[in-house]
Formats: sequence, structure tokens, C-alpha cells
Amino acid sequence: MKTAGFLLAFAMFAGLAAGQQVKWNYDKLAERASDSVDVNLDGSLLRLAAKFLSNDDPDQAKARKLVEGLKGIYVKTFEFKNPGEYSPADVEAFRAQLHSPDWQRIVGVHSKEEGEDVDVYIKSEAKGIGGLAIIAAEPKELTLVNIVGPIDLDSLSELGGHFNIPEIDVEKKKK
Amino acid sequence: MNLEDELRTALRRKEPSPEFTERVLARVGSVPARRAPRPWVRWVAAMAASVLLAAGAIEYRQYRGEHARSQVLLALRIAGGKLNKAQKKVQMLNAAHRNNS
Repeated sequence: MKTAGFLLAFAMFAGLAAGQQVKWNYDKLAERASDSVDVNLDGSLLRLAAKFLSNDDPDQAKARKLVEGLKGIYVKTFEFKNPGEYSPADVEAFRAQLHSPDWQRIVGVHSKEEGEDVDVYIKSEAKGIGGLAIIAAEPKELTLVNIVGPIDLDSLSELGGHFNIPEIDVEKKKK
Repeated sequence: MNLEDELRTALRRKEPSPEFTERVLARVGSVPARRAPRPWVRWVAAMAASVLLAAGAIEYRQYRGEHARSQVLLALRIAGGKLNKAQKKVQMLNAAHRNNS
């Protein structure tokens, strides 16, 4: 019985450790947002989508290549009618969930002038990059992206341009 | 007459008329017996139902696949857009930093 319990706990821990989605709680923001975009694609849906992505269209072919190795794509975008409808504390709560040894912030852009913050995190795993998270905050929009699964740099560059970007913090540079 | 007597009268057993049984049997004989459906009709019905189910399943899978494809493209467009934005800002700031120094 003890062995079974141990095995169950181990299986659960292994499941959590192996490329799981970031569990962000958006309930408060959803109430305040005027519009939202919600994309939830788990592994089985991604595999199905990959079959429907055309190889004839270059963009879809790139997307297909990128998606084939992934375990999940989760995107949430909230749009607000007025600036200030979400607080920096709300954003910090999302960032706090990525404050772990597994996650590493590779880009952090904070522009006080434009009121825009973009943080890009990657999840390090033994085999390489095991996930990507983006928190992009604009005065009237907040976007959270979580891509679960092994992302090689080539695919990553196809997704968003070449990614050999040094870490930089605009606020720190200004001071 | 009280209620009890009325009920007793109303519910008193009455014997049917002598020709009642004959009439019933004659009617029973005149009703045509319902024919059992032929076996091939059942097979055709079963096959038609199977074809309809399969067509529905294929249609649903097609719908789910196309919806998933559009969701993937939307997600990648959003994610790529945010990454490009971050990249451009970093490049812009690096250029400004180089110009200042």
C-alpha cells in the first residue's frame, strides 16, 4: 500500500516536473477585461492541428514544424477599455510563478515611457529548452503566453525572429 | 339506496351474451397478421446508420482540426508578435546605447 502511494506520488511529481503548463490564475483580470483571447491547445489538439496545417503555405509549414514537438500552447490576451484597469501587482503575480530554478528570464524589456513591459522566460531541462513563457503588459492590454515542450532555437527564431538577444532592462539602462 | 348498494349494483358481475366469444374470435381472425421485416431491410438500416455516424464523425474531426489549426496560427501570431516587439526594442536600445557611447 505504501509502495503504491509512493509510486502514485512519484508519478504525479514526475508529471508536474515534465513540461507542464504554467497555472496562471486569470479570474480577476477576466472580470475587468473588455475583450479577451483564449487559446488552449494541449498535445492531442496540437497533433490534430498539425495534420491540418498545409505544407504548401510557407507560414503554415513553419508552424507545423514548430508545433510537432510541442505539448501545449496556451495564450491569454486581455484588453481593457482604460489604462490602469490592472495593476503592476497583477503582473507581478504572474511573474512570481516563474521565479523558480527551472525558469530563466532571457529578455526583460521595461519601457516606462510607453508603459510597456515584455518578459520572456525559457524553461531549462536536461535535454535543452523545455518551454517558453511570455508576459507582455501594455497600458490597455495584457498578454500571457505559455508554450510547453521542447523548443529548439531554430524553431524559436522562426516563431519570432532570431533570438540571440542579450538580457537588458530599459529602466536600469536609463538610470 | 345508499352508496354501498349503488356500488354493488353497478359492479355486479354480468355474464356475456352467448355469441360474444364467437364475435371476438371472428374479429381476431379478420385482422391481418403483421409481417416481420425482411432481414435485408434491417441490414440496410444498420448500414445507413453506420454511414451516417461515420460521416458525422469525419465532419466533426474536420471541424475540430480546422478550428485547432486556426487557434495554432492565432497563438503563434500573438506569441511571435510579442517576441518581435521585445526583440525590436532591445535592438533599438542597443543601437541607441552604441550611439551614445
